[in-house]
Amino acid sequence: MAALLETRGVSRRFGGLLAVDSVDLDVTEGEVHGLIGPNGAGKTTMLNLLSGHLPVSTGTILFAGADITRLPSERRAAAGIRRTFQNLKLFREMTALENVMVGLHASTRAEIFHALLRTRFQKREEADIAEKARAALAFVGLTALADQPAGSLPYGHQRLLEIARAFVAEPRLLLLDEPAAGLNASESRHLVDFIFRIRSAGTTIILIEHHMDVVMPTCDRITVLNYGKLLARGTPKEIRADGAVIGAYLGKGAVAAAAAVRKAEAAHAAH
Amino acid sequence: MIYDQFLQTLLGGLAIGCIYSLIALGISMIVRATDILHFAQGEVMMVGAMTGFSSGVWAGNAPLLALIGGTFGGGLMAVAVELGVYRPLRARRVPLINVVIATIGVSIVLQNVARLVWGSEPLAYPALFETRGLVISGFTVSPQLATIVVLSVLIMAALAVFFRYSRAGIAMQAAAQDPDAARLMGISVERATVNTFAVSGMMAGAAGVLLGSLFFASFNMGFITGIKAFVAAVLGGLGSVPGAMVGGLLFGVIETFSAMFISTSYKDAVGMVVLILILLVAPMGLFGRAGRQV
Amino acid sequence: MKMPPALPRLIALLILVAVPLVEHNAYWLHVFSLALIAAILALGMQLLLGMAGLLSLGQGAFYGIGAYVAGALAANYGVPFLLTLLAGGLAAAAASLLLVPIVRLKGTSLAVATLGFSIIVHLVILNEEWLTGGSLGLMDIPKPTLFGVSVADDDVFYWVCLVILVLVFVAMDRISKSRFGRALSAICQDEEAARASGIRLAWSKSKCFLVAAFTAGVAGGLFAYHSRYLSPSDFTFNESIEIMIMAVIGGLGSLSGAVVGAFVVVLMPEVLRSSGELRMILFGLAVILLMAAGNLGIVGLASLAAAKLFGLFSSARAWVSKPREAN
Repeated sequence: MAALLETRGVSRRFGGLLAVDSVDLDVTEGEVHGLIGPNGAGKTTMLNLLSGHLPVSTGTILFAGADITRLPSERRAAAGIRRTFQNLKLFREMTALENVMVGLHASTRAEIFHALLRTRFQKREEADIAEKARAALAFVGLTALADQPAGSLPYGHQRLLEIARAFVAEPRLLLLDEPAAGLNASESRHLVDFIFRIRSAGTTIILIEHHMDVVMPTCDRITVLNYGKLLARGTPKEIRADGAVIGAYLGKGAVAAAAAVRKAEAAHAAH
Repeated sequence: MIYDQFLQTLLGGLAIGCIYSLIALGISMIVRATDILHFAQGEVMMVGAMTGFSSGVWAGNAPLLALIGGTFGGGLMAVAVELGVYRPLRARRVPLINVVIATIGVSIVLQNVARLVWGSEPLAYPALFETRGLVISGFTVSPQLATIVVLSVLIMAALAVFFRYSRAGIAMQAAAQDPDAARLMGISVERATVNTFAVSGMMAGAAGVLLGSLFFASFNMGFITGIKAFVAAVLGGLGSVPGAMVGGLLFGVIETFSAMFISTSYKDAVGMVVLILILLVAPMGLFGRAGRQV
Repeated sequence: MKMPPALPRLIALLILVAVPLVEHNAYWLHVFSLALIAAILALGMQLLLGMAGLLSLGQGAFYGIGAYVAGALAANYGVPFLLTLLAGGLAAAAASLLLVPIVRLKGTSLAVATLGFSIIVHLVILNEEWLTGGSLGLMDIPKPTLFGVSVADDDVFYWVCLVILVLVFVAMDRISKSRFGRALSAICQDEEAARASGIRLAWSKSKCFLVAAFTAGVAGGLFAYHSRYLSPSDFTFNESIEIMIMAVIGGLGSLSGAVVGAFVVVLMPEVLRSSGELRMILFGLAVILLMAAGNLGIVGLASLAAAKLFGLFSSARAWVSKPREAN
């Protein structure tokens, strides 16, 4: 299978800190690729580099064979890379439906004069946007809340709404930044289900996540970062057995990490 | 001769720049403490010029009393609008833009109240400072301008000392930087905010006396000067104390030199073009810190 | 022409249409026409500030550019009324391209940079006598005619202004419900998330400035015929600040609020005229008090009061069309 996304020697420096240090990442088309590591390992920075929200200090990023290193984030979004944010970035005063409709901005064309004249093209496109947005809301189970302001939704629903906003554009690559943060157990199980369904719709996923019960069952392959460097990569099975990975987690906080690994194994066994 | 003219212009620019700096400092301090863009700061300056005028005349043309009267007039006025207008608005949790527009309302009210109290004719300030030319090593120096520069520098130095060594000053800085942490340390953020308005109003009031002594005092002297000081504060980096000082000086010098060497009609435009160019290179101003927005 | 959908809007429109039938005083009709022109300005500002969250203090400059271009074309070249309005709008829109480099500025920096632009434009109007008549002003603007018929009578000109206001209102309403309007709201609420959805910030903001400038330019053209004499002192940066007050005072983000705000800002000093020297003091106090209403604005307050009276809470919420903070 062809690589959809490749990074070569990607680094990002903040002052004296190398947050991401010469990382090579290979993401195959159609897979769910986990990006894990202890807190401060540079995962979110890496995601921001991939989405274009931060410029790289050095290195190159290839997407579907094209060099996108210098492309700004909106152009990457238009090219089919969509993302969610760790700290939820919804348009809080717009309705849930409008949020998802914004997600279709790059793939629609109506200009100001179409809107002013209410041309047939504009009406058709608006209807099409609304229909797709409703379908995406239905996909994440938020149909009933379509007309609620996004900021008034419960936290778990806001997470799902953000996924819907990214997914509605039928991206080739979806970057999920800790989608399970703040979700309860049943919501997390739903999330695992979504990830499988998004993948089966043909979207490649990069998943940053602390919850191993989400990572282990969903990911085809995992890349582990530690102190901004690539520590290990492989299948979930290989990663669980990797001494360096366990060491990295143990070094950070033995109890929590051990619990995470145990939980991960249990989750894997369940599938 | 050209050199002499250059020095004169520079001194004039520095003097007017010092006045902008004093007002800009207050604007910057208020932004840092409350996020409010205080469009009425120029009017506070005007009130200082007026109370300074009145106390100076009352005391028989005593420059020191004019300065004290203006300083306290400005300080009291700033505290009054904070307690009477901005704090109640903040307590109602209205959006920031509403408070900003309320400052414009305050500016309209102050202007027109001043017109009622002091009349609409410009008031010729009594000669507070020596006006005869002073000759220093062959160059004629206007003692008036020199006094303004010296007094402004003294006031700004006093401000620096206040921030650095006084309890109130340190509390104000802490409250502005991180209100929650300051609260935990037992600092009253509300009191620190009132102090911020008091200090910024005092500086604006002093600036009013200096500006008045240079030209004259009138009810409508505040708004355009306030706007220019605002531009100066943004030029230096809104919220930054050294930025406000440098921005004010820079703006005053640019304005004076462009009036002298480019065009009197377009002296304000040159300052604005420089402002826009600087913002294009440094969107947060010369000393600006990222992340501060309306 | 399609009417605005909501019933309150329709009633307000009928009242506005009826004004010249009831009020025959030339002075008051003149003032009401000015309020309609101000409402067009406020609608343009609402697009910038209420929808996109762009605090621009450049609208007064575009107003002036539109006024002088329309006025000069009419006075010097006898260009017909509607064409000069269009030219005024287009000239202002073209001038807004000068702001393209600064659209990426945010918050205060944007406000002060656009304020600087206003000051520069005012100085050009004041000093370039060959172009604008300088401080003497631009005189001899002919009476407006439509297809050879004079529309200069106070009542007719009022209706002309009203028609253009309604057109601008409908245009803004359509924009707010379009792909472009959603993009502006998205930018207003979260720029990073907007970019992540493929919205080009500078491009969208520039278009927003362009549309708002065109609107202000058309309003300026109307103003040229309204006063038939243009003075540089009509277009100082104070004008920009006044336009901002109009957009906020009626209810930020609300199109009806912009119209109401414009009427309040234009009419209140006139109504208070009897209070003599206290007039502007009362006006300033009213501005301060209205700011205490938060982002509801006058329209929000009025609809809440109406809701209390008639128990029609749901319709009131629809009337307060999405107030939002600017940040």
